[in-house]
Order: sequence, then structure tokens, then C-alpha cells
Amino acid sequence: MREPEHRRKRAIATDLEEPVTAARNLAAKLGLEPYPVRYWIVDHDEMNELIAYGGFQRRYPHWRWGMQYDRQQKQDRYTGARAFEIVNNDNPSHAFLQESNSLADQKAVITHVEAHADFFANNDWFGLFTDRRSDSDDVDAAAMLERHSRAIEAYMADPEIDRSDVERWIDHVLSLEDTIDQHRPYRGRLERDVEPPDLDDDLQETLENLDLSSEVTSEVFDDEWLEARAADDGDGDPSTPETDVLGFLREYGKAYDPEEERAVELTDWQRDILEILREEAYYFAPQQMTKVMNEGWAALWESRMMADEAFAGDDEVVEYADHMASVLASPGLNPYSLGLALWQYIENVTNRREVVEHLLRVDGITWRTLTEDIDFDAVLDRLEPPAAIDSIDSASLSALETVPDAWVDADALEAARAGRIDVDRYPWRVLSYEGLARRHYSLVKPANRGVFERIGRDRLEELGRYIFDSDRYDSVDEAVAAVDFTAGWDRLFDVRESHNDVTFLDEFLTAEFVRENDYFTYEYSQATGQFHVASTDPEDVKRKLLLQFTNFGKPTITVADGNYDNAGELLLEHEYNGIELDFEQAKAVLERVFELWGRPVNLLTIRKELDDHDVEVAKRRNREPTPDERGVRLRHDGTETTVERVDWTAVEHLAADDVDYDTKPDEWLA
Amino acid sequence: MGLRDDLERFRAVGEDRREDLADFIQYGDLGHSGADEINVPIKIVSLPEFAYDRRDRGGVGQGDGDTPDVGQPVGQPQPQPGDGDEEGDPGEEGGEHEYYEMDPEEFAQELDEELGLDLDPKGKTVVEEHEGPFTDLTRSGPNSTLDVERMFREGLKRKVAMAFDENFVREVCKVEGITPREVFEWARGERLPVSMSWIERAHESVADERGTWASIEEVEAGVDRQPVQQRIRRDGIDHVPLRRDDERYRHPEIVEERERNVVVVNIRDVSGSMRETKRELVERVFTPLDWYLTGKYDTAEFVYIAHDAEAWAVEREDFFGIRSGGGTKISSAYELAAELLEAYPWSDWNRYVFAAGDSENSSNDTSERVIPLMEEIPANLHAYVETQPSGNAINATHAEELEKHFGPDDEDVAVTYVNSPDDVAGAIYDILSTESEPDE
Repeated sequence: MREPEHRRKRAIATDLEEPVTAARNLAAKLGLEPYPVRYWIVDHDEMNELIAYGGFQRRYPHWRWGMQYDRQQKQDRYTGARAFEIVNNDNPSHAFLQESNSLADQKAVITHVEAHADFFANNDWFGLFTDRRSDSDDVDAAAMLERHSRAIEAYMADPEIDRSDVERWIDHVLSLEDTIDQHRPYRGRLERDVEPPDLDDDLQETLENLDLSSEVTSEVFDDEWLEARAADDGDGDPSTPETDVLGFLREYGKAYDPEEERAVELTDWQRDILEILREEAYYFAPQQMTKVMNEGWAALWESRMMADEAFAGDDEVVEYADHMASVLASPGLNPYSLGLALWQYIENVTNRREVVEHLLRVDGITWRTLTEDIDFDAVLDRLEPPAAIDSIDSASLSALETVPDAWVDADALEAARAGRIDVDRYPWRVLSYEGLARRHYSLVKPANRGVFERIGRDRLEELGRYIFDSDRYDSVDEAVAAVDFTAGWDRLFDVRESHNDVTFLDEFLTAEFVRENDYFTYEYSQATGQFHVASTDPEDVKRKLLLQFTNFGKPTITVADGNYDNAGELLLEHEYNGIELDFEQAKAVLERVFELWGRPVNLLTIRKELDDHDVEVAKRRNREPTPDERGVRLRHDGTETTVERVDWTAVEHLAADDVDYDTKPDEWLA
Repeated sequence: MGLRDDLERFRAVGEDRREDLADFIQYGDLGHSGADEINVPIKIVSLPEFAYDRRDRGGVGQGDGDTPDVGQPVGQPQPQPGDGDEEGDPGEEGGEHEYYEMDPEEFAQELDEELGLDLDPKGKTVVEEHEGPFTDLTRSGPNSTLDVERMFREGLKRKVAMAFDENFVREVCKVEGITPREVFEWARGERLPVSMSWIERAHESVADERGTWASIEEVEAGVDRQPVQQRIRRDGIDHVPLRRDDERYRHPEIVEERERNVVVVNIRDVSGSMRETKRELVERVFTPLDWYLTGKYDTAEFVYIAHDAEAWAVEREDFFGIRSGGGTKISSAYELAAELLEAYPWSDWNRYVFAAGDSENSSNDTSERVIPLMEEIPANLHAYVETQPSGNAINATHAEELEKHFGPDDEDVAVTYVNSPDDVAGAIYDILSTESEPDE
């Protein structure tokens, strides 16, 4: 690094030391439990490079990093969009801040990063990778990736190994990087016989607690899946269906030797690279599975710290608001705004439920009469945080004696009184988690005041059903006083622990949200040859969204048989959910799978076939033709790929008849 | 390894997968390229993966302020989670496309390779005379330019040429009763570069030892001769005689830099009969020609002439879009071309005059006006590209008449027929391979 550059970065880093410490304290006060974070100041090019390499400084040599760098560079050249930060999932996490950010941006980024680091550390899906590794729960991702990088570099440099063979091998494996079993803990080997006995119970319980809709349950965690998991126990036989295609190939794969014209054992480097890439796929999977949640989570706490707790200075808050607005406003399916809205929804609805449940216990009030008997505005006024914690400065400290002890951090208050804490700058330091939850109680915020009123009768009835006659309150005041103000936050932390995007969207995406954000589904019309708006029904939108988040938005492919046709051929199956494969790509992937299996490979799937005549008729009548679903088998034998119709009985077990992702109405092309 | 390496590998991968250049010219989307940057689509850079059929999958979109009506067409679907980059049918894809960028120089080079062309651009104007490397030599000059190495080399050559085996000659002087004259005669016979006076001196200095040998034959048998090289190696060079004759002074060579300038006149028939497909074919032929010549020459200027019964000069942006309703008189364009080319004197500029149209012309215009004009306008090459997607029309005779007049082997005139995109690469080859050898 050149000297002045180094000094410049050093200076920025020094300026940021204080905000970093303060942000960490605040995060802890708010209930976040982030991994330790190391911050680095990087320039624009370094930032682009880090983004291209997935947030790490060292990855194995591959052209796609170059491609991503190239794209990243063009993107900010042509669109002006720039990256502010990148943080990686590691313990400690490493966060990279761009040196050109303003101080307001840096602070925002730091608060954002702390929330991400909390998510990495506490979300169970991330735990699948870390928990079952060796003896510690350290991720140590940077070290792992660097180790991988060194190993692959060594293979490439090995004079015995042709570098281009290594590169081709990596490409073959990467074609399958999403065909892993991301719902299972990562294990170095595909040890299908050592399933910890408690796992399935846990899982069953977790699933029940998730309150999932039947669609998700049937699509993701169906009986078959559970059975398959159970069946995996004690069954190392390669003829059992296996979702971890990469793991299967690592155990049983071979390479094709064109000179000997037969399958040969994988060389050590081939098997090693397969394992390296599989491990990385498992490492990166949780990030893909929780994109909406994770980004929303970071945006939520960022805004809480920056705006609500005035972490941004007075002069910085406007700039911060601008920045936030532009991030949230980017078009398309924006994980930030979608995630943030859902988290806010969870907080509000939990708080509302807590209040309503208390109100329903006031004597004389039932779910039928609640909306008439209760003056919502009066209740909201009572829910306002008391002045003593709403605005805190060095002159008002004595007022804190009037609030419950649980709201106050007694040690900090002591320190503040002694002048050891700058309470004018960091008023939150004298409050506890409970105090802060009270201070930022969601229902009374101007944007959320309507939430309370909007509660529907059916919801009230539902809540009313569980109210027992005991524990009655004499008055509304008494009921409100008993409200647990941390209910909303507690729920947030629970959800961030157990959910992934699919379950998150399924449980919390409301019809209201879909309507407010003008979401719609679109479908392709065979009759007109283009995409049309198909439905604005929230249920349809949700179903379509879930499709796109389930299994990384990719079709589910499993290994059905490692000795297909009794000839050592590989049989893959596509678990058909009504949406057919991109056949061109599937054929190209099969060619690569052949390289990893060394023997012919097959793929059973279902294809939608359209009769030209039907399409013609449909066009004339402005209707959609109805395709025939037929079973097909794709096969690649090393030289050619064939596609062959098979009898329906051969694929019947693959077809899911309880899901329907087609949102086309009967009449839609007026 | 590292970023630079990965970028390089990406470019290499991109190059491998780049659309074949001829395919690109004939069928590809030329619209993404500018005059100075050619963007050749890359087929698939992303690795294939198991994915849903994009059409069958559909997706979720977000309205802009309000929810759109059901049935309303949506333009390009927004990118969806799970989308890789994939290749679908043309027109169905989103804006995400990778391109391999090349500049006109690279394009020209690649096209040369692809089509086996060998167009050597001619330098015309002498723009500069500058001092090249100091490779010319003179007998006088400033001391600093004295070629010491050469002088030493010459001296060394001379020394080697003059050296002889002194010991051996001295031994010969010791032969019983030999006279200096006899030694000298012998040395002459041996072609030794030794002087009579050296022998006389040596003869005298060994007078005491005379009689050591009975005869010269005995000396030859008893004493080993040592070749010059061996002695120099053993004793060192000692003294190299430097002479004034060998002094040479280096001085710079004068290099004439000729700039290779080209002016390309693109003429297009925009009359009513030139419909959409014909226009597109013209664009497909002319655009790569423009890139190619831009890449081959230092300076490339373009003149665009549109004509129906009259001709007018237009800007490039407008050139391919213009349509008019009038009749056709091709000579009008050549008259204008002759006029505009006066700004680019033949002595200084390479000239290319490309015309394209559907071969329909007013009667007798071709033979009476166009052909004489083509002969009058000096140019490296005149070309006519006939675009007739539907085959021959009865009165489309311009190209045929040109061919008849100039003959198929004329080196200054190329006539080609482009009836479909399949013919484009061939036409470009015909045109660029026709150019005659320079007359100079």
C-alpha cells in the first residue's frame, strides 16, 4: 500500500473508532448479540474486488470472480450505483467500509453491519454450518476459504496436473453448487448413517412452531422429506434418494477416461476440489436462504439506531434519511424494503396482540364490544413512553427515579451522574433493554398508530377465544399498565433465530402488504407470446413469491439411483411442482454431471407439451392452450444427449398434485 | 493468481464463447455497438444450472404507484430471485447481456483471420519526417557518435589477419645453413603475413642456435604450430592497432512516416422500392465495412450519401433510417460523391466508394452516367452491393450492367449480391478482397 493512501485510511479508521465502540454498546443494549466485528477501510477498487469475491480477500482462482469484478465496475460506471459496505459471515465478522463514504454513511453502515453480524451469529440456518463443525462454533470462514484457495492454487501449479483440467473440473462442480441439502447441517462426508437422534425431534418441533401454511409444509417439509430424512438413517446404500447431489458425487462419482473409454476412480485432487466447493456451497447457502430477512433485519436496526436513537448527528440525519430512502426505493423485488416491512409488521402485530389480550381481560369487555367500548386514541396516549425516558439529558436524570427500576441501567446511571458518561450524546446508555423497548414502543409511532385501529373482528374473535375469566382487570388503565412492552422485540429475536426466507414470507407476508406495494404476478401467454399481468390476488402473489424463494428459486433435483438400469448409470429426478425445467440448461448440466459420474447420466422429469394446432386455436380464441404433461428422460452418455418420452408411471411419483403455481385466471386476455 | 489473473481468465473464457464473428455480422444485434466500440455478444458466460423454464415460471412484479390490470402485458420481466444469466430466445431476454468489447483495430484483425483477408492499407500523406535509430554511418561527426565498437572490431580483424606463429618461424630460422631469404620464401609459400625485416631480425637473434634442425621438414615434424586464435586466447590480445581509416560516426536514419488516411463514401438508395429488409441488409454490409476500415487506417473519414432521384449528404445516425418516396437515379449520388471527394485529394487519401441499392435505376442512367463517373472518380475500390431479398426484379439491372462493363475480374470494382443475411459475410469478403495492388 502506498504511504499517503495508508495514512488516509488510517485517519478515517481513527475517526471511526468512537462510533464503532458506541454502535457496539448500543447494539448490545438493544438486545443484539453480534459476532465481534473487525472494520476495514477500503477504497473503491478494493471494494469492487471484495464484492466480486463474495466478501473475502482470498478465494480460489476462478474466472467468475473476474466476471463479477468486471460487472461491478461497469455497474458503477454506468449506473452510478455504489456499494457502501460489505460484511462477511465469520466469527469475527469482517466489515469493509468504503473510504469515500461520508461520516453519516459510515455510521449507518456500522449500525447495519452490527445487525448483520447478529443475524449471522444467531440465525439457526447459519448454525447448520457452524454448529456441527469440529469442536468450536467458530465459523473461521476466511481461514477456510484461504485454505481452499491455497489447495486449488497448488493443484493448478502442480506440473503433473494440467491447469485447464482443474479449471474445467471446477466449472463442472459449480454447475451443481445449488444441488445440496441446505436444510441439513453440513458434514464433511455424506454420512448418511450418523444422524444425531435428537435432530429430527427438534426439527419436527421447530416445524410445528413455525406455524407454516400447508403450502410450505407440503412443498418444503412434506412427509416425504421427513420420511426421506428418517430413511436416510442407517442407510448408506447409494440407491436411496439423496438431495445432496454434490455429496453423492463426492462419495460415488468417477471420472471418464477418454483414452481408456471407461470410468476411472477420481483422482485425489478431483475429489478434494469437489469437497472444497461443496463445503463452500454449504457455507454460502444460509445467506441465500435468508436474504430478505437478513437485509430487512439490518435495515430495521440501522434505522432504530440511526434515526430513533439519534446515532446520526443532527447534521447527519437528513443525509442518512436520503440514503435510506434511496436504498429502500430501488425497484423490483427489493429485499431491503420487503424485509424491513415484514419485521415492522411482526413488531407491530405482536405488540398489538399483547395490548388487545390485556384489554380483552378488562371487565365488561368482549371481542364483540372491544372496538366500541375502547377509545383507541386514549389507549395509545397511555402507551406513550413517559417523558422521563422519552427525552433524556444530563439535566433530566433525576426524573429516571420515577420509572420502574427494570428500565434503567443502574450502573450507567451512576456513571452518568458522575459525569463519566456523556448522556447528552448517548442518552440510551442509562437505559436497559426494557427501558429502550419502552422508549421505542412501536404502536405509538405516527406511522403505526393506525395498526391498532385496523385490527379486524375475526382477529379479535380469535384472540378472545383464549381469554379466560380469571386474571380480570378492573379498568383499562390497569390493563394497559400490565402490558409487556418488550413483547414486540422479544418476538423479533425469536423469529430471527428460527426462520428462513420461505417460512418468514409464508408466515408474515400479509395481503395488506401485497396490496399496498402493488405486487402482482405475471405469466407467459402462449397465445400472445409475451408476459402478462396474471393476478393481483395476495394469495397468488405469495405463492409465486414462495416459489422463488424455495430451494434458492431452483427446481429440486435428487439422486434416485446410483446403479440405474443395473448398469452403474446415474439417475437424477426432478421433483416436478408444475413448472418445467429449462431443458437447454438441463442438458448442458447433464453433460457436466457425466464428467463427475464417469458413466451415463439420466434425468427423469415432466415436460409440458403443446400441440401447434392447439396453440393456433388458442390464439384465435384468445385463450391459453392446455399443455399435456408427459414424462421424459434426458440421458447423456458422453457423446450425445437424448430426450425420450417415458411412460407416465415412471414419473408419476415426481408430480406434485397439491401445489399449483400457475396464477393465470381463466379469462385474462380480453 | 489473484484478481488480475481471474480477470484475464474471464476475458479468455469470454473470448472462447464470443459469438462467431461472421455470425455476429450476419445475424447478430449490431445496435449495441458504436462507431468505435464493437460489442460482440457472448453466448453464455454463466455456467449452466438446473433452473426453471422462465416462461413457465412467470414471476412477481411491482406496480409503479398502482396495481396494473390483469391481462396487461408486462415488458421485460424484472429479475427474479434465482435467476442466473441464461440464454433464451432472442427478444425474450432481459437487458442483462454480456458483451465482448473490441475496438475497430481488433475487429479488423479478427475479420482478417475469419475471412482470410489481407488488406494492406496504403500510406499516402507524408505527415512527418523524423529521426529514426542511429543506424547510418559517416566518416566524420561529433566524437560522441563515434562507433568505438566498430573501430575496435576492425582493428581486431586486422590484427588477426596479420598475426602469425612467431615461434614457429623463429624455429625455422634455426635450420642448419638457412638464409633469411630462404625463410622468407618458405613463409611466402605458407602464406604467412611476415615481413623480410622481421625475419632478418629473428635470423640474427638465433644465430647461435642455428643447426638445431637439419631441415624445415624436421622443424615441421618436431614443433607444433599454434593457430592464431589459440595464441590470442593464451596471451591476450596485447595490442589492437586502431586506425583512422576505421573511424565511423553513427548518425540517425531519416524515417518518413506516412499516415494512412481513408475516406469511405457510403451511398445508399433510399427510394420507395428500398423496403425494411433491404435496408437492414445494407446496414449489415456497410457497418462492418466501416468498422474494418476504421480499424485498418490511422484516420478514417466517412461520407454518407442518400439518394433517390436526387442525392444529399447525411449524418451517420440518419443514414440507415431514411426513407423517401422518389424514383431512383444512381448517378446523382456519384455526382455528389465526386464533389465531396474533392476535399480528400487522391494523392493524400485512400478512397473507397461503396454503393448499395436494389439495382433499380432510371433507364440508361447506369451506362450513360454512372459508369463514366465511376471511371472518373479515382479510388482504391468502387463497390456496388445489390440487395434483393426476393431475387431479381425485372428492371433491376444496375449491378448486372456494372458487372458486364467492368468484368468480373476488375480490380477496382466489386459487384456483389446480398439476398439474405447469409450472403453478408461473403459480400464483405468479395469487396475487401477485390482491391487492386497500388499503382505506385
